[in-house]
Amino acid sequence: MSRKKSEKKPINKIGRRRFLKVLAGVPVYAALGPVGIASGETRRYGKLVDTLRCIGCKRCMSACKRWNKLHVEREELLTDRNTDLSGNNFVVVNLRADRKNRAQRTYVHWTCQHCAKPACVGACPVTAITKLSRGPVVINESKCIGCRYCYQSCPYKVPRFDFEKRVSRKCTLCYDRIPLLDYMKPACVAACPVGALHYGLKEDIILEAKKRVERRKGPAYILGLEEAGGTDILTILPAKPENMGLVVAPKKVVNQDLDKIRITASGFMGASVLAGLMYGYGHLNKTDGSEQDQDKKGHEDDHE
Amino acid sequence: MKTTMNESPTLTLNAETHSSKEETPSSQPNHPARKTTIRQAFSTLLADMERSPGFYVWVSFLIAVIFLAGYSLLMSLIYSMEIFEFSLKIPWEMMVSNYIFLVGSSVGLCLVVSLGSVFGLKRYELIGKRGLFLALISIILGLSSIGLHLGHPERGAIYNALTPNLFSAMWYMSTLYPPYIACIAVWYWLLARRDLARTAAESEGLRAKIYNILALEGLKAYAYERMPLQRWESKLNRTIPLQKLGLSLDAENADLSWARVLGTLALISGLIAYTIEGSLFAHTEARPFWYGPLYPIDFFLGAGFCGFSWLMALGILTHKLKREQFSEAYRTLLSEMAEILALLLSAGVLFTAYKMGHGLFEPLKVKTVMLFLNGPFSLNFWIFEIAIGLVLPIPILIYSARKRKTAGIATASIMVLAGYFVKKYDFVVASQVYPVIKEGLPSYFPAIMEIILIGGIIATFLLVYTLGARFLPLKEEGSHRGPVI
Repeated sequence: MSRKKSEKKPINKIGRRRFLKVLAGVPVYAALGPVGIASGETRRYGKLVDTLRCIGCKRCMSACKRWNKLHVEREELLTDRNTDLSGNNFVVVNLRADRKNRAQRTYVHWTCQHCAKPACVGACPVTAITKLSRGPVVINESKCIGCRYCYQSCPYKVPRFDFEKRVSRKCTLCYDRIPLLDYMKPACVAACPVGALHYGLKEDIILEAKKRVERRKGPAYILGLEEAGGTDILTILPAKPENMGLVVAPKKVVNQDLDKIRITASGFMGASVLAGLMYGYGHLNKTDGSEQDQDKKGHEDDHE
Repeated sequence: MKTTMNESPTLTLNAETHSSKEETPSSQPNHPARKTTIRQAFSTLLADMERSPGFYVWVSFLIAVIFLAGYSLLMSLIYSMEIFEFSLKIPWEMMVSNYIFLVGSSVGLCLVVSLGSVFGLKRYELIGKRGLFLALISIILGLSSIGLHLGHPERGAIYNALTPNLFSAMWYMSTLYPPYIACIAVWYWLLARRDLARTAAESEGLRAKIYNILALEGLKAYAYERMPLQRWESKLNRTIPLQKLGLSLDAENADLSWARVLGTLALISGLIAYTIEGSLFAHTEARPFWYGPLYPIDFFLGAGFCGFSWLMALGILTHKLKREQFSEAYRTLLSEMAEILALLLSAGVLFTAYKMGHGLFEPLKVKTVMLFLNGPFSLNFWIFEIAIGLVLPIPILIYSARKRKTAGIATASIMVLAGYFVKKYDFVVASQVYPVIKEGLPSYFPAIMEIILIGGIIATFLLVYTLGARFLPLKEEGSHRGPVI
């Protein structure tokens, strides 16, 4: 025991070796930048969207545009016209009615759902998309090649192509806001005047969402607990998402790696069967080349 | 330099490269190479145009289409890439479908050619050169089609190498195509080198120089003049078996056994790449119609259609337009290829029936399937995909193969190609409609600028082929010194 104790180094003491180790690590941290540093953290954060409290003021949209330096189009902020996500619109607030109960109309704040196991990350050929351990799924815009495969693989069809920058863009959950005053929160959460948006640790917001649903008398649905294998954005809806006209994702991880291997293997098997058939066809028909083979042999003899 | 000239009288004329230049009074067999002036070249060109105006009209038309495509590309750079999209929610349109079509054609052509070079069917060696040349230009133009669709194609090459994503089908696809292109190119060069060297020996001046460079034939003479090569050569041959590697400085004596190795490599890389391209679509669970193990298999079935169709259509048309005789062996081979294509098409009919029937009973796929069966894509589906692309060519092919009629085979092949092109467009676009566009769009016709751009790419394909058919050895003929391999 005593030997083990002596081996254990005190954490606070900075010895020569430890100092050199840290010194060697500095350029690595510098190269990785904020992404690498963030990935060292383990606590996952999420955002709760309470559509039952939302008043449709669209301050979240304008705050998002201000923080991310996106173009503002007047009509999409001022009117109740339906707007769509785009390379210039990371967050939208649309008035949606329950299909089964037309009187139930709610403003739905819609953005990237930041899946726990994002399909876009596995699809991007150049690893431009990363899931930070803190929670956000972020596109590295200086690396994106603009193939739009992330859009195709996303169950919610969120990453949109920006025709000016020629890259895919989407909500980053404001991972780049420094932890200063109220800036810990994403821009949209900080801007919400009625507390419809709530940012915090994932487990806390799950509890908060369940509490809010319990408190409500009528029916409610929490979107994001199971959809696409669980997402870091939870949305409390007055009805099921399919009735609210939202894109429905399957209640499991989308684009699993195992699935990909299975599908590709089926293709390989097919290709090898084809190659085998061709080989067999060539083998069966070899007799017709015998004459030419003889010619070749003769030619080689001449050559010698 | 003069070593090649001494051989020229003994060599037979290659009809493929038979041009007006040899007929001009100035050319004589044993005359030393003379520089042609611009004036002479211009008058030759004019004489040529008078003799065959059809060729020049065709080339001018293709160049005009390419210029139009250049205009649309310029506009996309000046204004926005948005001009290529008919709907913002459908980001993959004709450029992607055209890419799949051209790359599939290339892999299919490689498949057909490999029957001869890799699998040992001697009669298929006839079509080797034409098939490989077509495979080369179709893959390059296919990749340029997708390159123009990418937001940043320049980053694609860099980050594909620097930060690969091993779980992305797209990464495997884009990594496997460059070695495939290299294999195809060298394979074609190995098969065509002897003919290139012969053409060089038959012509003179600039033309001879160019062909000599293409065949690397002039290298020997050049090296003998400038360097003490004879001394090195014996040493080099002892240490490295250059001839065995097919790298002989002398085209006539080059051993072509490497063509088989390259062919096998090209076949493997091409098949894997195209199967993975099918998987690229099949992996996306968020697109129910694409998802599943069906499409990787469907893709190389389609590659087979394209390979046989391109070879038959362009081979027959080129022979007819150049008023060349079909050799007996070639005619027999065409009939056989037509029968195989008919067989593949009937497999395609079964596959389509299975695909659609299976989709009807899957709740996630049924809406997309109904777009095909009874929706905005029904005209494309029933007329182009089913009638023109699959069903009608089968009787035409079988009848023409029996009667050995080349016109029928060419017509059916063109029908298959047109059907397959439309099929790929529908496959790409229709799957993206649901669930994003809930009510659907009234029309899924591509944007006019995109049509122009794709027209330019197809025109480039035809232009390069036309020039290749005129100046490069593509003709279906066995070498007079025995089979190529």
